[in-house]
Amino acid sequence: MLLIHCPYCDETLPEAEFAYAGEAHIARPADPMATSDEEWRDFLFIRTNAKGPHYERWRHVHGCGRFFNAIRDTVSDRFLMTYKAGEARPALPAKEGAE
Amino acid sequence: MSRYRIPGKGRVDHAAPVRFSFDGRSYTGLRGDTVASALLANGVHLMGRSFKYHRPRGAVTAGSEEPNALIGTSRGKGRFEPNTRATMQELRAGLVAESQNKWPGLGFDLGAVNDLAYPLFSAGFYYKTFMWPRAFWDRVYEPVIRAAAGLGRAPSEPDPDRYASRYLHADLLVVGAGPAGLAAARAAARAGLRVTLVDEHAEMGGALLSDPGVVIEGRPAWDWLAATLDELRALGVRLMCRTTAIGYYHQNMIGLCERVTDHLDSPPENAPRERLWRVRAARVVLAQGAIEKPLVFDGNDRPGVMLAGAAQTYLHRFGVLVGRRAAVVTAHDSAYFAAFDLADAGVRIAVLVDTRDAPPAALLDQARRRGIEVLAGHSVTATTGRLRIRSVRVNRVRDGQVAGGRAIACDCLLMSGGWTPSLHLFSHTKGSLIWDEAAQTYLPGETIEDCHVAGAGKGLWGYGAVLADGDAAGVAAASALGRAAAGAAPAVAHDRTGSGEALRELPSDLAPSLARAFVDFQNDVTAKDIRLAVREGMKSIEHVKRYTTTGMATDQGKLSNINGLMIAADTLGKAPPQVGLTTFRPPYTPTTFGALAGYHRGSHFELTRKTPIDPWAEEHGAVFEPVAQWRRAWYFPRPGEDMEAAVARECLATRASVGIFDASTLGKIEVAGPDAVEFMNRMYTNPWTKLAPGRTRYGLLLGEDGFIRDDGVIGRLADDLFHVTTTTGGAARVLTMMEDYLQTEWPDLRVWLTSTTEHWAVAALNGPNARKVLEPLVEGLDISADAFPHMSVAECRVAGIPARLFRLSFTGELGFEINVPARHGADLWRALMAAGAPFDICPYGTETMHVLRAEKGFIIVGQDTDGTVTPEDAGLGWAIGKAKPDFVGKRSLSRPDMVAPGRKQLVGLLTEEDDVRLEEGAQIVDDPDQPLPMRMVGHVTSSYRSATLGRSIAMALIENGHSRIGEVVHVPMPGRTHRARITGTAFYDPDGARLKL
Amino acid sequence: MQVTVEELAPVARFSLRVRDKGVAAVGKALGLTLPGRIGERADRGDLTALCLGPDEWVLTAPEDARDRIAADLAAIYARAPHSLTDISDREISLRIAGPAAATLLSIGCPRDLDRLEPGRGVRTLFDSATVVLWRDGPEAFRMDVWRSFVPHVRPLLEIGQEELAAGL
Repeated sequence: MLLIHCPYCDETLPEAEFAYAGEAHIARPADPMATSDEEWRDFLFIRTNAKGPHYERWRHVHGCGRFFNAIRDTVSDRFLMTYKAGEARPALPAKEGAE
Repeated sequence: MSRYRIPGKGRVDHAAPVRFSFDGRSYTGLRGDTVASALLANGVHLMGRSFKYHRPRGAVTAGSEEPNALIGTSRGKGRFEPNTRATMQELRAGLVAESQNKWPGLGFDLGAVNDLAYPLFSAGFYYKTFMWPRAFWDRVYEPVIRAAAGLGRAPSEPDPDRYASRYLHADLLVVGAGPAGLAAARAAARAGLRVTLVDEHAEMGGALLSDPGVVIEGRPAWDWLAATLDELRALGVRLMCRTTAIGYYHQNMIGLCERVTDHLDSPPENAPRERLWRVRAARVVLAQGAIEKPLVFDGNDRPGVMLAGAAQTYLHRFGVLVGRRAAVVTAHDSAYFAAFDLADAGVRIAVLVDTRDAPPAALLDQARRRGIEVLAGHSVTATTGRLRIRSVRVNRVRDGQVAGGRAIACDCLLMSGGWTPSLHLFSHTKGSLIWDEAAQTYLPGETIEDCHVAGAGKGLWGYGAVLADGDAAGVAAASALGRAAAGAAPAVAHDRTGSGEALRELPSDLAPSLARAFVDFQNDVTAKDIRLAVREGMKSIEHVKRYTTTGMATDQGKLSNINGLMIAADTLGKAPPQVGLTTFRPPYTPTTFGALAGYHRGSHFELTRKTPIDPWAEEHGAVFEPVAQWRRAWYFPRPGEDMEAAVARECLATRASVGIFDASTLGKIEVAGPDAVEFMNRMYTNPWTKLAPGRTRYGLLLGEDGFIRDDGVIGRLADDLFHVTTTTGGAARVLTMMEDYLQTEWPDLRVWLTSTTEHWAVAALNGPNARKVLEPLVEGLDISADAFPHMSVAECRVAGIPARLFRLSFTGELGFEINVPARHGADLWRALMAAGAPFDICPYGTETMHVLRAEKGFIIVGQDTDGTVTPEDAGLGWAIGKAKPDFVGKRSLSRPDMVAPGRKQLVGLLTEEDDVRLEEGAQIVDDPDQPLPMRMVGHVTSSYRSATLGRSIAMALIENGHSRIGEVVHVPMPGRTHRARITGTAFYDPDGARLKL
Repeated sequence: MQVTVEELAPVARFSLRVRDKGVAAVGKALGLTLPGRIGERADRGDLTALCLGPDEWVLTAPEDARDRIAADLAAIYARAPHSLTDISDREISLRIAGPAAATLLSIGCPRDLDRLEPGRGVRTLFDSATVVLWRDGPEAFRMDVWRSFVPHVRPLLEIGQEELAAGL
């Protein structure tokens, strides 16, 4: 069971309070009807499946209820950082273990 | 007094005899004994039979690494446990223990014929032997192998014991309360940390319990131990004995299994037998010590052959002599100390064989003073004795040449092949293990966890070094958490230090093919098996392990892994690290299912949610079914009715007069705020802007992929306020999906979502007489057909209770859903039952609800849809607000696949024979005579017997179904294939006339 | 008994959702300052506001204050849009008190309760149920449990109490 830092509660809490919510920074197109079939397909289905740092979303579902973003290393299963929804995609932290 | 007990010695209570039985025979031990120490005190070494060859075996260790002395223990009905380690099970009054893997008895066991066939049972025996004829596998080989396999007897009765679990948080968790662990806990606790110290044994102290002569900080070891434990208690350290750290999980989550009552004569009522702790520690110190290695030689498994350190433990902790005339064979200094202690206690040391040519002079001096004959540069090549060792064969080894042997009589043989750091938990962290050439063992390397290995676990030897290292680990943990800590490495006198060499098999003059030199005692794997496996092509230790099963028994190779690796590496001509090491996985020792299940058994097996009307339903004989997490009334049988009769009666009563249904489980979400209507327009397919307050509409929710996710009736209570209902199972999912869009895609919308599922209890009234039942109870609202038409919502009072009243129908009949604050749910229900009595009001359950809706062709999301069904597929294209520029899923509805021909579409299905009820899930084919495998064109989604229509009805998803109305398809079912005609989905009152009442 | 568990009488309970400038306005209408940090609470007489999320508070008050609170906030809705939803019947409150209260909660709550100081409250888990856990004092907790989960949670607490009474 992981420990996750909720950027809204500003506390590091047990994973049991959280739910995974897929890859981060995949914004819904502003006008979906204007997208091509290929663009829409990519939005719906194409994901990174990173080995290593992965930008992903979590929800503090049994807590403050907020969706937020995280960078998690899929090899070590460590969270490198978490940040609020809507914040710009940050660069990778220089060193592991920021959280 | 038992023959092998030294009066007054050890940590057992000599004034407290404890009676127990083993294999039907009664014995007496002492309070503080384990089953193994008590049996040894009675001169019993033979405790079990081995797995494959049924060889007689005795305890080889005094701890949880024990591979041989596995017993069944019981405490009455249902309280039987197989494969308990006799070396760990504490004695309790009346304990009933039995040996395993023998028939008819432990002393004479017919299965031992396997041992005579030893030359046949080579490595990979099963793979090689049971290959042909192929047909023999199912009928002959597998049943025979299964009957012979397995260790111990599985209990057959339900376990009546309780099991518990808790979460625990600590600044520092110390695993292992030997000298290193005690020093670490003390240093950290003195610095103010919240410390938990755990140990798997009945008392703390670890190796100190077996070395009372050591002097620490000026006190004898046991006095120091007592004082240290007192100090830890005073500092608030949580001390947990009988607690095994079974697994090390991410981010310092450690699983502990505490044995709470197994050692008690009569456990208090309601006490759990075991408790699983989920510990989250900021820092962890692993001070699990080291495990002594056996030596590998012919006959090294005979009862009476045991590890030297174990004999020392039995002596000091339990006051038990494991024999009167001991032989010792060692590759390490530590066995000298065991020999000295035993000699000082009156045991005759027949010989001390040291595999090394030049043992330390100081040890030789001490041996000489005690009159112990030391044979340096010698090997042990065989043992004799049937159920107990009688002699050991000793040979001189010079320049690799083994001279002829001589037999030396003994009643026990103490061996030491050196020590293996116990790094199982460290390995769980994916920590790297580094081969140490000097120590010929693996030592801990790097780990990503905040974890520190201290003491013998990192190859240190001697109490001074280990205590200093533990102290440093405690200081380091405190510093890491920002606490100033002063180290206080304890001074040690009379220390016992030493070193040794690591060996493969001991050199022998006997033919290797006949040697029974065991590497893995529990799985009966010999050195010969491992060498054969390598010769047959198993080049990786992982392959050797699987081919020979070495290290795969319940002890996970705690004794055998390094010996097996050394032998495999030697055969391969490689260095051990090039051959690798198999992975240790949790649990560290076998763990009961009870401990893992904890409280989640019986009525708490899984969470069950109940509505406010549930007690009424139970009182009135409802049969329940699980729906999502809820239990819902399924049907209300009257005496003598089966389900079909009850459902038929409930359906007919509802259509004829009025039925009442508990709809409280429907999900309810309040959508409030200035942008509520905009939000609804974006989420649901339907248009909401023109829906007037006080009106409701069927809402359809898609995923972004265009497939149906949920549906429900949605009422607009005010311009800025919607009351959304969802399916029972979809409530949490829909709210999560809405929150997701609101928080991350449209955070600018001023709208908020609140779950009110549980705030409201809901009774649904359906049937032509529904209004007549309800009307007299309603205050503040005219519910006549004109004033309160179909698809209306309003606030009012019902039976004096404030209510949100919906007029809607999921049955095709005149229908109302009355929402009241949940605390009043049961009152409302009773009031409606009373008011409905003149109309023979009929409570109905979910099955009748399903039938009534199917008669009308209303879908159930998740039953008639499966995540690949679009609104058009389901015949719900009318629910799409086509003029809306966007809603969730809209873009997907025009993807090429979504508009291509050949999609499965929802249709009705009527069997040609009225009384045939198709199976839900049955596949549908066009041509029943086509060759197998048939081409399936769809499947049945819903199927019922309709009492109203006097025949069966079904719904199905069929390719191009909407354009095939009237055609005949075939449904193969067990027994025969049925013909059915494709129809529309509305079987009853297709024009909806009954809603207009 | 080291720990007691009792079901509390119903109170008026609202889920309040508001953000930005609306927060101050709603606080003013309620006569208190809505706490800005998750887990903090503010009290004015019988009225309590606990911050559960960045734009979410739970309000509790005596039953007879329900209509007045609703009316006070409705009056400012136009200039301070918010959502005030009556959830009085959604949850049942259990009071868990006594020297072993935190231990009893540790059978189902994964949080470090040492870090939930008296006067704070959070939404968390107990077993598999979402709950709002208030710490009213060093040895006094309150747990708001969705009504349908109570038939699961309450007996589980009773098993835990029996276990604690057994003393092992």
